[in-house]
Amino acid sequence: MHQRLAATLEDGALARAVAPGAAAQPGLDRAQAEAELCRRFAPRIRLYGLRHLRDPHAAADLVQQVLMTTLERLRAGEVREPERIASFVLGTCRMTALEMKRGAARRERLLETWTHVEEAAQDAEPRPLDEARLARCLEALPERERSVVLLAFAGEKSAQETGAELGLTPGNVRVVRHRALARLRQCMEGR
Amino acid sequence: MSARPCASPVDFALLADYWLGDAGAQEPALEEHLFGCGHCTARLAELARLGAGVRTAFLAGALTAVVSAPFVEKLRREGVRLREYRLRPGETLSCTIAASDDFVVSRLAADLRGVKRLDLLREIEGRPALEMHDVPFDPAAGELLVLPPAAALKKMPSHVERVRLVAVEEAGRRTIGEYTFDHRAEP
Repeated sequence: MHQRLAATLEDGALARAVAPGAAAQPGLDRAQAEAELCRRFAPRIRLYGLRHLRDPHAAADLVQQVLMTTLERLRAGEVREPERIASFVLGTCRMTALEMKRGAARRERLLETWTHVEEAAQDAEPRPLDEARLARCLEALPERERSVVLLAFAGEKSAQETGAELGLTPGNVRVVRHRALARLRQCMEGR
Repeated sequence: MSARPCASPVDFALLADYWLGDAGAQEPALEEHLFGCGHCTARLAELARLGAGVRTAFLAGALTAVVSAPFVEKLRREGVRLREYRLRPGETLSCTIAASDDFVVSRLAADLRGVKRLDLLREIEGRPALEMHDVPFDPAAGELLVLPPAAALKKMPSHVERVRLVAVEEAGRRTIGEYTFDHRAEP
């Protein structure tokens, strides 16, 4: 019941429900608000981690660390504008990812306190694709599109790099890439 | 994940630019939006999943692809086991793929200066097997790097394969080079 109510609330209302002395939402307890915040933000943090750290394990660590920090600061009343919780989480992501890049020590002790954080980090893992179908869809792409997509996703190359290596302009690479992604999505959906 | 509709959904092309480091000055504002929007996060997750799937399919040796030399070097640095063959136009060489190889790279030397469009035609035992039209290439590279699908190649018996590079020009088609692979299947 509480979880259903939590799912209908804005991010800011959930954040206010976690803050000390909160009575913002009748019928919503702090644990449910925290769990919903974790459920919502875990995928966003994970994607940020994948984008900036390029490693699934590091991204999973980032999810845990950022969620723990966020809940800790909310509980302590240290988030000045709970209604802007998304910005707070993003800022924490940026700082934590920087620390991780510098090899900062992990905050293992907090894991014992924030058990639902670990669950949310695991829930944020994506479902696998139909790999055989995707391989067929990739083989069906025009050669130029397949090469560009491979350099982008298997080689992690920017449009600038891909263009320099394949004799294309960066603008052309982005156009080809966009066209290829549209074809792949259509193909994967069976259209 | 919250699936509330988004009043101003981020274009999928921009999400791809962001994911691949090409969003430039738009990146901070885009991240602000993504952190406040479950809908666009879900679409970014779809893109990330697709990208991871592309890499998985490629590393499984399921694809034929024309790639770049720096791309191959990156694979090598990541620990991918590569067997490499270099051929000049008109050359024949004996080749194979071992069970322990992840990929075979064919480096076809070719003078590509002035070429606008390039096709690659592949024959196996004298029969047309594959036509790759308008393959991408760097005219200054002096070679084309081709990765055949390693998984399928490992299952093939010994055979002779000919690859022809053809420049497509206004005046017609011009063969740039022919390369012959005498493939020996591992016992």
